[in-house]
Amino acid sequence: MTSTTPTLVAAAAALNASKIYGKDDSEVRALDNVTVDFAEGQFTAIMGPSGSGKSTLMHCLAGLDTLTSGKVFVDGTDLSGLNDRELTVLRREQVGFIFQAYNLIPTLTALENITLPLDLGGVDVDQAWLNEVVSAVKMESRLTHRPSELSGGQQQRVAVARALASRPKIIFADEPTGNLDSRSGAEILAFMRHAVSDLGQTIVMVTHDPVAAAYADRVVFLADGKVVDEITSPTSEQVLDRMKKLGS
Amino acid sequence: MSSPVIRLTLRGVLARKFRILLTVFAIVSGVAFVSGAFMLTDSVKTAINSLFEELRGDIALEVRTPIAFGDEATAKRDPVPAALVSGIAAVPGVSSVEVNIIRESTIVKPDGKPLKTSGPAFGISWLGQDGLDGRTILDGREARGPGEVAIDKASAKRAGYVLGDKVTVVGPTGKGEFTLVGLTGTGDTSGGGGASVCAFDPATANTFLGAEGLADSIYVGLEKGASRSTVQKGIATVLTSKYEVIPGEQSAKETAGAINDIIDIFGKLLLGFAAISLFVSAFLIFNTFAIIISQRLRELALLRAIGASSRQIRLMILGEALIIGVIATAFGILGGVGVSKGITALFNATGAAFPSATITISTRTILASLFVGIGVTVTAAMVPALRASKIPPVAAMRPEMGFTALQRSKRLFAGAATLLAAIALLCIGLFVQPGGAIGILGASGLGAILLFLGVASLSTSFAAPMSAAISRILPFPIWPMTRSVAGRLASRNAQRTPRRTATTASALMIGLALVSTVAVIAASVQKSFKDRLQGSVTADYYVTSDGFQGLPPAFAEKLAVLPELGEVSPFRISTAQINGESKQIGAVNVEMGDIVNVKLTSGSFAALGKGQILVHRDPARDLALSVGSSVAVTWQNGTTSNLTVGGVYNDSSIAGNWLVSIDVLSQASTAPPVDFFIGAKIADGVSIETARIAVDKVAEEFPSAQVQDQAEFQKSQEDQLNQLLFIVYCLLIFAIGIAVLGIANTMALSVYERTREFGLLRAVGMSKRHLKRSVRWEAIIVSVFGATLGVAVGVPLGIAVSIALPESFVNGIQIPINTIVVVLLASIVVGIIAAIGPARRAAKLDVLEAISAI
Repeated sequence: MTSTTPTLVAAAAALNASKIYGKDDSEVRALDNVTVDFAEGQFTAIMGPSGSGKSTLMHCLAGLDTLTSGKVFVDGTDLSGLNDRELTVLRREQVGFIFQAYNLIPTLTALENITLPLDLGGVDVDQAWLNEVVSAVKMESRLTHRPSELSGGQQQRVAVARALASRPKIIFADEPTGNLDSRSGAEILAFMRHAVSDLGQTIVMVTHDPVAAAYADRVVFLADGKVVDEITSPTSEQVLDRMKKLGS
Repeated sequence: MSSPVIRLTLRGVLARKFRILLTVFAIVSGVAFVSGAFMLTDSVKTAINSLFEELRGDIALEVRTPIAFGDEATAKRDPVPAALVSGIAAVPGVSSVEVNIIRESTIVKPDGKPLKTSGPAFGISWLGQDGLDGRTILDGREARGPGEVAIDKASAKRAGYVLGDKVTVVGPTGKGEFTLVGLTGTGDTSGGGGASVCAFDPATANTFLGAEGLADSIYVGLEKGASRSTVQKGIATVLTSKYEVIPGEQSAKETAGAINDIIDIFGKLLLGFAAISLFVSAFLIFNTFAIIISQRLRELALLRAIGASSRQIRLMILGEALIIGVIATAFGILGGVGVSKGITALFNATGAAFPSATITISTRTILASLFVGIGVTVTAAMVPALRASKIPPVAAMRPEMGFTALQRSKRLFAGAATLLAAIALLCIGLFVQPGGAIGILGASGLGAILLFLGVASLSTSFAAPMSAAISRILPFPIWPMTRSVAGRLASRNAQRTPRRTATTASALMIGLALVSTVAVIAASVQKSFKDRLQGSVTADYYVTSDGFQGLPPAFAEKLAVLPELGEVSPFRISTAQINGESKQIGAVNVEMGDIVNVKLTSGSFAALGKGQILVHRDPARDLALSVGSSVAVTWQNGTTSNLTVGGVYNDSSIAGNWLVSIDVLSQASTAPPVDFFIGAKIADGVSIETARIAVDKVAEEFPSAQVQDQAEFQKSQEDQLNQLLFIVYCLLIFAIGIAVLGIANTMALSVYERTREFGLLRAVGMSKRHLKRSVRWEAIIVSVFGATLGVAVGVPLGIAVSIALPESFVNGIQIPINTIVVVLLASIVVGIIAAIGPARRAAKLDVLEAISAI
């Protein structure tokens, strides 16, 4: 067994995590006995070809999806023991999300979207922190706009601010720049980098873009549902190189 | 509810204004009929109560004969001798005493035709404005001699009479000509709530109205300062126990109550209809919410992902339903004012002269409307809300993982179980008939609701194959829609979401199921009626009244002496108690035996002449009666006649269940006689033409009489049934209208949903025309599916009800193939209408925008 006890400093961890879709002949092992941890205060990128299980790993770590076997932990809590209500509270308080697209509720303004997790939990907004977060993503002037009145990059900035607003233990980002042009994408990645370096946030990002991965402190490579490699302090060339190897 | 939930709810409603408007509209109509029914009955009742209180004027006490049972609506009181007046006048404290005579009197218009009224046509004895009752003179003066009459202003105006005109009035004793000397009113109104009133002086009333020394009751006024209860006791001591003395307002209340009962029946009809339209609306609401939720799948999943609990999602959806319910109820109550006013106007247009009532909106009306409007909306949204709260958060990123649909086998089981329960309840309600009318209506009503729900649930399972089948035979089997791309797309789309197709079709299914149920029952009743009429009616002439109170006995007497006619018999109806239950007893002459064939199984019709009673076989069986047994009949005045059964008969369609001779009735009760109808046969050797001339000549004197030969009688009876059916169909069409709205709504939503798909189709070269056609075909598939289901449910239901109906109504099942074919064809039109808006929207889509839509 390759099992190691996750370190206490890990913001999130998976232990012998397996996820199987379908049955018998049509069985697909999306995750195959994955053990990995994500240190607090680090920006980690998860990479891998399509179907490597990177999104599934993230969904399970975030409590959005459940494992077939194994365990996942967020801040030392074993998610497999939580019921729907406890998972909801965990997502609201410990976890932040940034999706590829469709991040915002179209009927709410930018500000309302940012404070939504706090409002849902009935938590008072820490105004000073909110101001800091909003200014970090440079959205001060557009707070009263609806998502339809914002550009794609602006929408993602609002999503970053929302993820930061509740000061979660960990933020999961699923291809956050996938739908953006390179300039807007770079902006978003810079905000995320800033959140980790200067605000002490932990971020786990799924991406297939080597340039995006280069913003991370560490890159974990997945293939066929298994962790196959990792690099610390990567450059985009290094990442590209590894990806090419995985693909071959 | 926490504040973000409220905010999300409100924004959710605002973002979907159009869809919600359609949903609101469906509920509004239901609520409007509920509140309208209450408002109408409340307002009219208030108006009628105040009208009768107004009419009561200074009548402090009234002397009349008591009735042993029953209420004022069916009461036939024996008269009071007018001679009692002097004795009553002598009682200390009495200021004045008047005889009250109210009999039927029809005003004849200048063109010789009777003035039609929507209420009774009265002739009364009236002393004028100084008399006790509350009638006032608006113009001219009261009638003072044998040749004079005062008429209520509204009727005089409608008939076209002015003061000084010669007016022909037909009363119980025949025709009379009077000079119009006064126009009367009541309080501030110029009419009597749809009734026409001819006021004569007491002496004229006594003779012309045929009272002959008898009064219907006696009015008593009090001296100033006299104690009413003391005077009441005083009068009671001078009267025998045959009479009672009651406070004037009690009598007014009873009379008003009798009319209020009729209005209540009308109100209940409206409520029943409101229930149907609300039930149909519930399907529409359910469907709209189900679709809105699947469209918002990602949004709801996103909310779940960032920390909204499933409870918060549920509350949000229910909150939206609540808002819709409140808005709809508010509009519904406004609509209720419209419904109530509209119906009043409709009735007034036909001459009803409803007392001009201000619309009364009672707390009960508002509470009932809120309960119904909000209750139906929130209940209908319950299942979609539950579904929404079960959306897994991961669907925010993987929408394909959205809904875990109820397993097909599970739904089949639930649907089948509901259907079985429904059939069981219907059978119990219709055939076991527990607990009287309430049991029958309750069990079969609940059964019908479950039946619709069960079929709606099951129909999901065969929506796809049925849609495929429909698209293969429409418009023609040799040229099915599947031969064109537009048709194929429509067919696939209807099959793609069987659940939606089924729910949308369900609303139409209910409406058309009710229509076909009614159609089967109506056809069966009509056929049975016709068969029976042909077998049992042997009369050459039928005389009925188009007024409210039937025919004056003078008519039958005049017909009886015509040499051109053979047997003549009137038919009177009286109420009596037999074995403790209230029954309608028919009274006829022995000659009726030759006019109507009641199909005696034992005894003879001639037994009537010996003062015996004839019984239909059903009550005879229930009470174990046969020829020679004795029946105690208690009349309304308390007299009991012990009658011997002289015969048992089979056919109650004309004669009812009990028959006595007119002599027996008039010996037992001295209440003023009124003939319900008169049957007559032509004398031997007289030609039809000659007889008709003679009969028509007599009939001229009685303008409210309608003389009909067999064919005419049959036709008029059928017309009456058709009129009733027409009203029922009108109401059901409204329910179908809501169903059309439902289809339109669903189509609009799916057009919206398929924006991208349509954009793609247009981009690869589909024309606007084809796109429109595709949407239209889909709507047609859905409506034909709904209509087919409706007929499949409605026809058996109609057959079941027809079998359950007593044999006197239905003795054979008739399935109206024509009506059913029309219904099915009409459903195609329904689909076309429902698709107008959505098809236009689909065609208007901008190709580029549509493709880039997410």
